Amino acid sequence: MNNVPEPRTPPQAALKSDRLFINLGPQHPSTHGVLRIGLTIDGEVIVKAVPDIGYLHRGTEKLAEVRNYHHCVVLTDRWDYVAAMPNNLVFCLAAEKLMGVKTTPRADALRVIMCEMNRIASHLLFFGTYGIDLGALTPFLYAFREREMILDLFEMSCGARLTYNYIRLGGVMTDVSPEWLKRTTEFVEYFKPRLDEYDTLLTYNPIFMNRTQGVGIVSPQEAVSWALSGPNLRGSGVNHDVRKSDPYSGYENYDFDVPLGKTGSCWDRYFCRVQEMRQSVRIIEQAIAKLPDGPFMASGVAKIPKPAPGEAYAHVEGARGDLGIYLASDGGISPFRLHVHAPSFINLAMLQEKLVGMKVSDVIALLGSIDIVLGEVDR
Amino acid sequence: MIRYFSKIFTAAKAIVQGHWITLTYMFKPAVTIHYPDEKLVPFEMYRGALLFDQQTCISCNLCVKACPSNCIALENAKNETGKKVAKVEWYSIDFGKCNFCRLCEEACPTKPKSVWHSLDYEVIFVKRDEMVRCWKKDFPFIGKYFDRKAQDFKDPEGQVSIHDVQPRRS
Repeated sequence: MNNVPEPRTPPQAALKSDRLFINLGPQHPSTHGVLRIGLTIDGEVIVKAVPDIGYLHRGTEKLAEVRNYHHCVVLTDRWDYVAAMPNNLVFCLAAEKLMGVKTTPRADALRVIMCEMNRIASHLLFFGTYGIDLGALTPFLYAFREREMILDLFEMSCGARLTYNYIRLGGVMTDVSPEWLKRTTEFVEYFKPRLDEYDTLLTYNPIFMNRTQGVGIVSPQEAVSWALSGPNLRGSGVNHDVRKSDPYSGYENYDFDVPLGKTGSCWDRYFCRVQEMRQSVRIIEQAIAKLPDGPFMASGVAKIPKPAPGEAYAHVEGARGDLGIYLASDGGISPFRLHVHAPSFINLAMLQEKLVGMKVSDVIALLGSIDIVLGEVDR
Repeated sequence: MIRYFSKIFTAAKAIVQGHWITLTYMFKPAVTIHYPDEKLVPFEMYRGALLFDQQTCISCNLCVKACPSNCIALENAKNETGKKVAKVEWYSIDFGKCNFCRLCEEACPTKPKSVWHSLDYEVIFVKRDEMVRCWKKDFPFIGKYFDRKAQDFKDPEGQVSIHDVQPRRS
């Protein structure tokens, strides 16, 4: 772990050869969705990379303009379909700001529990597929075993496994049962030793470390100027977390650390996510221990809300970064304008600069470490 | 030279450690099931394919308004004098548009619910016509679809229900 290899520099091509244009994607399994990267390669070195997005564009921002606020929550599920709870939450926070609704303490605690469980599920998916991208098939099976348990818990509480529609305007869909809380506590106890296994299987595996350490280094200055967020930013050592800097839903009451990377390489971004799972487990434990009683839904949310004209911005720390919603109302039953500040889209932008000079084999290592979801990139 | 061999040694050690973890799980019961032979029953809250009951529906249109994707359609029944009554003439759900979001079930005012999510996760559609399920008098819970080619209502093919009698929520 101590002998971090030198950052790789593009070797000078000794033999002049023709440049070759290849398409990576859109159906390549390692692109985690439908992303096409037009790569121009010279030998094995990339000289130009053009990411091409839009294959999953569904126009949800426009669709929201003809739906009422309760219906928009259903649309939000489809952005980041791997971690849909923060999507629900950020829309509800923005709409609640517009409507002036204050949520109950129990609803806040349930939102926090659900979002953190979803963060674990999302990072487990990253952990498993990143291993597959780099040729390690075993961690995937272990990660999905645990992810399945989280999805089962979601299924038990809200009925769906991916598109939850659980966090509603003014609260949550249903209260959780004591049985659910018991199972979640059991899961947390089961999950903590599994994280150490993951470290043995992948994190400190020298083969994996050699492929990721020193690859795709993003300096803190670059990370800030590219407006990266989430584990991609923290992997470069910049301490910024919306949960700490702008707490929402009572995150200021929980004690957790923000894991930081050192060099900003692919391994640091990966390591940040693995450490975030530990912190999420801590938050879930605290939230369950002091889950307040009371109603799970605030009163005063209309069946068809008509907020006063105005604008609202809310942002949360989603699984992929700083997920923000800008919502403008003109007093009608549907939003006048909805804009999503999608972390995946912004994180993806660094790809075209960072890929230049890298080897073809490192493309997937960098792409996988950014952890994009194309549903959120294209909306 | 030393570094070369130490690298080989650490990599080999990591492989052995990984295999050891796998070995410890080898003697534990499997976490997967053989799907078509065994089937998992979802939890009670599961949002599967929608079902509808003609008898309890009061034709109040709340589910139509609650649906975000506009997939529910219904028509009021009329009595002999042509006046609308609180019964439904026909009711249709377009599963090609359905979001499985439970907003219609939550909006339903009857007890037990007239439209509710079953636990059926195996709903399949062979043809595009099959996606629009209709409910009329004497049609079953599962609904029929209107085959445009044959101009006739047909039972959906290949429909395997996990439960013959679907549990209904009140």
